Amino acid sequence: MADILTSVFRTFMSQTDVNKDVTMDPHSACSALLPGDSSVSSSVLLLGDSSISRSLLLLSAVMAASELGVRVVFFTQTQIQSLPVSLQKCVPSPESLKKIKFSYPRTLGDLLQQVAGLHESQNTSPTPPSLIIVDRLEGFLGRETTQRSPSSAPCRLIASFRSDVDSEHAGGESSATDPILDVLDRYFQMRCTLDRDRSYEAAAAGLKELWNVYLSATGITEDACPKEREDRPAAAPKEWQLSISPDGSMEFKMA
Amino acid sequence: MRSFLPAVAEQLFRDIQKAYQETSQIPDDLLIALKFVFGPCALQALDLVDQHSVTCLSSPSGRKAFQVIGGSGRLYTCFVSCHYCPCPAFAYTVLRRNEGPLCKHILAVYLCQAMAVTQQESVSDPQMSTLLSGTAPL
Ligand SMILES: [Zn+2]
Repeated sequence: MADILTSVFRTFMSQTDVNKDVTMDPHSACSALLPGDSSVSSSVLLLGDSSISRSLLLLSAVMAASELGVRVVFFTQTQIQSLPVSLQKCVPSPESLKKIKFSYPRTLGDLLQQVAGLHESQNTSPTPPSLIIVDRLEGFLGRETTQRSPSSAPCRLIASFRSDVDSEHAGGESSATDPILDVLDRYFQMRCTLDRDRSYEAAAAGLKELWNVYLSATGITEDACPKEREDRPAAAPKEWQLSISPDGSMEFKMA
Repeated sequence: MRSFLPAVAEQLFRDIQKAYQETSQIPDDLLIALKFVFGPCALQALDLVDQHSVTCLSSPSGRKAFQVIGGSGRLYTCFVSCHYCPCPAFAYTVLRRNEGPLCKHILAVYLCQAMAVTQQESVSDPQMSTLLSGTAPL
């Protein structure tokens, strides 16, 4: 579950942690992506600051395309101007970037049409996408009252969402009162929350921004799909700390 | 259809499937159980089943979706991989109030699948896209 995000965290981990972490192997996540594996349909809702979410989504897209070699479709309303600074470290080949298809739907209707058309032959050659990313879902939902999750198995889905109910100062919990988020949670198996760390330690870190990253399962699948829960590696870290340098490079640490 | 239902409901559908295979009807005790688990939805869904209101559409790409003709004659598309119905009852009772697991249309789909009485129909890939996007009725 959430293995792509987890391999992003591991790849961009600070050096001290890399030495400790014997399990670091982006290719171990790859095995779960093989076609026919019923456990592949995983979906993550990424909550928090939009610009950091976007960098994380881009890192995930590049990781999935270059390390796991899968086709990625990236839906966003804003043109991609540049790749995150952290990506310069791993220098992905231009070939792997070609496996990412950027799509720029302007409205919810456009997005629904493009997602619904992903199974058509012009979108499935040579292979259908194995990862669908939606940047800033809230931008598509707007004030419309009907939402549909663009989920589609067997394929991964990562979408970022920034709640109207601002959770920055109250910790992640207050976001539970957002009615849109309540509905979205039904359709995503995992939640990944980005929460700005404003503690003393964070202030002492100086120019770096510190963020806490929490991975958690959402309610419905936890109760209704015990089989999938058993498949989940028990020792998988659920908390990370993200530090962002003034130049924009990102580094992860296990919490 | 991927299920997000409590175990008791899952078991109930399995029992209905077994009974219907053997006797081509649903025995009274299972009907009572159905009404107990799903409330007033149950009878309405059974009506939809009787009226052959559920069709499973398939396209060459392998995509499937269910289409249910509602009481008012409106067509509702229910997805295979995701528990969702575009009807007002689902939006209000399930998503907003969280008062039940499903609407009569999704229940009718489960029942038709259990009883193996779903109508089958083929559509083209572009027709399936239109259907899945919910942008226009087929
Ligand atoms: Zn319905």
